[in-house]
Amino acid sequence: MILYEEQMELFALIGKNISRDIECYAFGGTAMMFYGYKDETKDIDLVFDEEAAKREFIKALERLGYEKTSALNIYAPEKLKDKHAPAMYRREDSRFDIFSRKIFKTILSPKMKEDVYAVHDFKHKHNLRLKVLRKEHIVMLKAVTERKNDFDDIRTIAEKEKSFDWQYLTDEAIWHYRHGDKWVLLDVEKMMRELKQHIFIEKKYLKQLYDAHG
Amino acid sequence: MERFELLRKLEGMHTAETAAEALSLGRQSALNLLSKLKKEGYVKTKGGGKQKRLYRVSAKKQRTRNRGMFDVINKYSPMKLAPWYDHQVHGNYGPEEALIDALETQSFRVILASMKLFNHITDWPKLYRLSREKGCWQKVGALYDVARLYFKVRKMPARYRQHKFLREKFLIKKYPTEEPVFYAIEKMWNVSIPFKEGDIRKAAS
Repeated sequence: MILYEEQMELFALIGKNISRDIECYAFGGTAMMFYGYKDETKDIDLVFDEEAAKREFIKALERLGYEKTSALNIYAPEKLKDKHAPAMYRREDSRFDIFSRKIFKTILSPKMKEDVYAVHDFKHKHNLRLKVLRKEHIVMLKAVTERKNDFDDIRTIAEKEKSFDWQYLTDEAIWHYRHGDKWVLLDVEKMMRELKQHIFIEKKYLKQLYDAHG
Repeated sequence: MERFELLRKLEGMHTAETAAEALSLGRQSALNLLSKLKKEGYVKTKGGGKQKRLYRVSAKKQRTRNRGMFDVINKYSPMKLAPWYDHQVHGNYGPEEALIDALETQSFRVILASMKLFNHITDWPKLYRLSREKGCWQKVGALYDVARLYFKVRKMPARYRQHKFLREKFLIKKYPTEEPVFYAIEKMWNVSIPFKEGDIRKAAS
């Protein structure tokens, strides 16, 4: 488990070990910690838009003693066949899940890139820029990744966040569906149906998903 | 009562009395609870002493922030910005870095408000180095000359002016210079200035 403070120290350390400016996007438990939804996470989920930035980040991780590890038992076997499955690096009990451009079938959409919740710059000689995705994107990606505890995290966000924008989430899921992610609607719909047992979600959002699927 | 339910009930701004009323507790019990929640990071306080103490309770943990571009600009500029994302920098960050970040946003209001930072630039070599790295010294120079027309600014060392810029740049993409008063600046730095005089006066007051 990685605590919030440890995570910040780790990013600062990586920032000291890079030899060019790097930009990446944080989602999953990492992003949830930035929001203050939780205090610890099993893994640090990052997605890179630029391959060279990803390589430099991995180099920095290796310099810090992280080693490549298997994704077996963490993601469902059918997910691991995907060519956009993450590269995973572990050192003791901290782990990085590193994606490149796509999180499985889900691409980094223009809205994900522009409409971020926070930007954290870890400045040393070079800058490690970490963009934290919006809560609606975090929920959508958690619905897509389907790991153990992902649903509990989604429930935590939906319950703690008064201003959760279901319309935004629905629109984004439809956008991704129309841009080649054929599973996203099913994943989001399944998540919403389960979540409806715990919190109130208006029917119109599910209807929009069904209409988009046709 | 479960922690989450408790936070849900208390979420928002409170005094010790309103918190006690919301939870049907005595004042001292409510204060003890608020103090415990504060230690856990769910409560931020304001006031105290002569003023009434206010407690801001949130269901999410309220993390301590590092300052970022919006904080630096809002500190020095009379024209305040409402941040549309939370920018935080972990490391050295001052007016020099904030000015470069402001130019990178391509936002009209942010660039306008950032002009006031020129009066707080103490390290010109640093500003020059940073802007050369980002390829925006041309824009910094043009913005400085615009700021100099309307505000009190610190003097830029003359050696940083001795450049010829062949490539035309825009402070904000595809916004040409319309005010005749900026034509000379545009010519010198080869940068289009999108502002009207009225905009800059607004930023000054």
